[in-house]
Amino acid sequence: MRTITLIEAIKEAYQEEMRRDDAVFMVGQDIRGGIFPHTKGLVEEFGPDRILDTPIAESGMYGAAFGAAQEGLRPIVDFMFGGFSYVTFSECSVTTGQYYFLHGSQQSLPIVMTAGVGTGQRLANDHAMSIHGTFAHHPGIKVAMPSTPYDAKGMFKAAIRDNNPVMIPWHMGIMMLKGEVPDEEYIVPLGVADVKREGTDCTVLANSMQLQNALKVAEKLEGDISVEIIDPRSFVPFDIETVLTSLEKTNRLVVVDEDWESGGFAATVSARIMEQGFDLLDAPVTRVTLPNMPVPGGYMEEYVAPNPEKIEAAIRAVCA
Amino acid sequence: MSLSQEQMQALYRNLVRADHFNRMMYRRMMQGKLIGFYHPAEGAIAPGVAACTFLNQDDNLSPHHRGHGITHMLSKGIDIKYYLAEHTGKETGCCQGRSAFHFSFPEHKVYMMSGFIGYNFAPSVGWGLAAKRRQQGQVVMNCSGDGSYGQGRAHEALLMAENWKLPIIFFCENNGMSIFSEASEMHPVADISSMAKAYDMNAVICDGQDVFAVAEAVLPAIERARAGEGPTFVEAKTLRFNEHDIGTPDLAGWEARSDEVHADMRDREPVAIATKRVLAEGVLSQDDIDRLNEEALAEIEAVEEFADNSEIARPSEASLLADVFAPGEAV
Amino acid sequence: MAIDYVMPKLAMAMNEGTINEWLVAEGDYVEKGAELASIETEKVAYDVESPEAGYIHIIVPAGETVECEVRVAQFAESEEELASLQQAAAAPAESAAVENASEQPIEQVTATAPRVAGERIKASPLARKMAGQSGLDLATIAGTGPGGRIVKRDVLAARERPAAVAAPVTASTAIELARIPMKGTPRAAIARRMVESLQSTAQLASSWEADITDLLDVRRRLVSREEQLGTRVSVNALLVKAIVGAIQQVPMANSALEGDDIVIYKAVHMGIAVSLPGATEYDTTLMVPVLKDVDRMSVVEIDRAMKALIGRARSGELSAEEMSGSTITLSSTAGLAPPGLTTAPILNLPNGMIVGPSTPIERPMVRDGEVRICTMLPLSVTFDHRVMDGEPFARFATALTERLENPELLLV
Repeated sequence: MRTITLIEAIKEAYQEEMRRDDAVFMVGQDIRGGIFPHTKGLVEEFGPDRILDTPIAESGMYGAAFGAAQEGLRPIVDFMFGGFSYVTFSECSVTTGQYYFLHGSQQSLPIVMTAGVGTGQRLANDHAMSIHGTFAHHPGIKVAMPSTPYDAKGMFKAAIRDNNPVMIPWHMGIMMLKGEVPDEEYIVPLGVADVKREGTDCTVLANSMQLQNALKVAEKLEGDISVEIIDPRSFVPFDIETVLTSLEKTNRLVVVDEDWESGGFAATVSARIMEQGFDLLDAPVTRVTLPNMPVPGGYMEEYVAPNPEKIEAAIRAVCA
Repeated sequence: MSLSQEQMQALYRNLVRADHFNRMMYRRMMQGKLIGFYHPAEGAIAPGVAACTFLNQDDNLSPHHRGHGITHMLSKGIDIKYYLAEHTGKETGCCQGRSAFHFSFPEHKVYMMSGFIGYNFAPSVGWGLAAKRRQQGQVVMNCSGDGSYGQGRAHEALLMAENWKLPIIFFCENNGMSIFSEASEMHPVADISSMAKAYDMNAVICDGQDVFAVAEAVLPAIERARAGEGPTFVEAKTLRFNEHDIGTPDLAGWEARSDEVHADMRDREPVAIATKRVLAEGVLSQDDIDRLNEEALAEIEAVEEFADNSEIARPSEASLLADVFAPGEAV
Repeated sequence: MAIDYVMPKLAMAMNEGTINEWLVAEGDYVEKGAELASIETEKVAYDVESPEAGYIHIIVPAGETVECEVRVAQFAESEEELASLQQAAAAPAESAAVENASEQPIEQVTATAPRVAGERIKASPLARKMAGQSGLDLATIAGTGPGGRIVKRDVLAARERPAAVAAPVTASTAIELARIPMKGTPRAAIARRMVESLQSTAQLASSWEADITDLLDVRRRLVSREEQLGTRVSVNALLVKAIVGAIQQVPMANSALEGDDIVIYKAVHMGIAVSLPGATEYDTTLMVPVLKDVDRMSVVEIDRAMKALIGRARSGELSAEEMSGSTITLSSTAGLAPPGLTTAPILNLPNGMIVGPSTPIERPMVRDGEVRICTMLPLSVTFDHRVMDGEPFARFATALTERLENPELLLV
């Protein structure tokens, strides 16, 4: 085992998969120089034909990947920041998601999309907003986010090998989070949730930086409330069975999602749990989400966004 | 055309101010006294000064993100203290401390900022349309970098502006760089303004390190637009002395820009170029120049004091939620 | 006043920085603009210039990585201030982040509110399922969840309790004589109201005996005039008259709790418990029709009206008016129960009191220093201690007893 950061883990996934399969290539803006550490140095190993910088032209950039995928290549599209994918939304969400299904299951698109997302940097809405909820809403695209270096490396490898389109952003707030990864090769399959901490009184569903927040809260509450923490890891497909099994034990669920309250993943999970796990619930499913306002960039970002205080309050409310 | 002495003095004064403001922002960022991020404008201030010094209050301006629009806004007569307050998260900021780095001065027709490069192309079509409708000689000054002309929206805006003969100046501050990507790698043609030809649009190229040369190119474009003769593409060839944004390495492609490149760039430092000319032509004396520098420093001191003495904006979550929509209905 | 120098937050997504090297030494006087330190972010290294002038006190040593906005050094104005900063450093160095504590009050859901009788029962889905599995009636379980919601722990607690009113946890396997469904029948309502009464009030039951020897004498004389009076006057009619008189002396006895108000009524509407045949030969059902304004009736009128009312109850001809509106209730087991029986009758909500006489009993009593055989009427009365206290109750009991034992008082 070795200890590396989350961003290094993503880089290792890129390196291993590109060494393994020549069809894998990357397209983005300024990825050769490396805005973030995970693409820095790749052009030296894999050459400028496999690590492509494009003009500031998201539609053209994504189109390059999309068409290449139809022609048998396996592109990774780096949007830099999640919100920038919206500049070419119709291509990367609508056209991509519907392609396999509407065209009679003839050809799948092995495209990986990624970008940095997340609050905590005081950069305001354009740079901070999360996109997993929006991409999870339009059918045909798998959506996942890693919360640890181990998950990051394994999930990015799984995404690159998946023959379907996968949107896998990463949270900037845990870029430097350290964790252990095995020396030998491994994959973390998409669509499988992970119990990150066992407990008996309350289940908390949380992901990426919010998972780290939830872990802090669980430690603080130890001896008072026993908190079980589940990382969904994937939003589409979503592993509800792991959550239902947990609820058989705890009967209480808090869903933490760094996305707006209205119409996001947390709302979807709440509805499904109500439908499939109604009799397991001893309290209403409680969500901790971003309030329905554009993500501010001033100091108020810290207290409007999901944070340990809000998570703790939700756990206490659900256990009352 | 040639500039009058008054025009040259006005340009030089704004150039000195822009230079000091940029240094102030860079310093504060390194000291941890700004929130958000900062894209330094050293070596790149002449185009913005020239484009904006002679705009009227009711002309639309979309500033370039380099230097966070401070060069452009101070040249148009906007009080920067409200922008620095915003950039430090204060209640007195132009966006109530909500936005980290967004500027908004609607009364000066500087409406907004966004993190999406090229965001201003689509709205500027609308501003041009409104200006044309009003028939009061208003113009739209759209300041963007070479990189942003990769956006499809840029081409859509050029197409529609020329088609409708909108009073827009497409002011391209071409410094040859987009973060690390070089324009020479990203565009097949060295002159970005060449794309104006596709739309039969007037285009002019000027030396973006010489504030007076830029003014000589942009003033006729402004006049044409005011007279209803349609858009002009003005390309100012400029330079970026520093990294794209503070904290990002200064690379070209994937290698550090060399000392030679930096030395060559600094040979073309805009304040030095302008100073040489105003002294040589007797437009300003050395005493005048010293005084202008002192005034600029005093101005900055007052701006910093205002921002540093303002309270950090910490409104309640409920009050923010209640302010997502504007009150009232259309009559 | 020392000035803090923090790890600057440069670039998007910078979370931490490392002090590669301090370019000044601890305690040096540093000029503004002088080279201060070499700082490395996740992406790039910088030589930073000093923003201030002053004596530098280093807090975070070279080689350490800290989060952005953590204080790494301080500038002291004087050598004395420097010394005090250095001494303070003997205590563990704080990492003073830029003030960013959450000041917003966190809404906590407050815990339990007691369930008001008659309100819709709130229970979590899990609690409902568990109660159903155990055959527990949610109406019998107190909820300790938010807003009085019944939650799992409440059902678990109820399972531990010995079954009071509820059905047994496991049904018997004995051969059945009869099975009477309660759902949707008056029995279900009676069962619910009995439990509701016991659970929602502060019931206090008292029993004593009144000497009705003389009263029975009066009654005999009235019965002998049955044709003249048009009715065979019952002991109950005299008892009702006595209760009315006692109420007039202690009006508190004729009261009820209405919402948050205690209402003391002027008129006396007497609820009269009537037992009626049930669904089978084994069970019975119960009704409490109401005789209105008994305070305005003579003994004969009470007797006639009461009998007519009971007759209508038995034949199912009661009007809606007669089904409700009592201010006090009479529930007699006289004639059915063994002599001297004392009970603790359950309040007929919303009345504040219920009077439960039973079968008289002969007892040797001491009268004027002599032992005599007297006929004693057992009275079991329950009152609601939320509404009235022992003192007015005791006065009422005394007033009632007085009238029963001195029947001439029924004339006044």
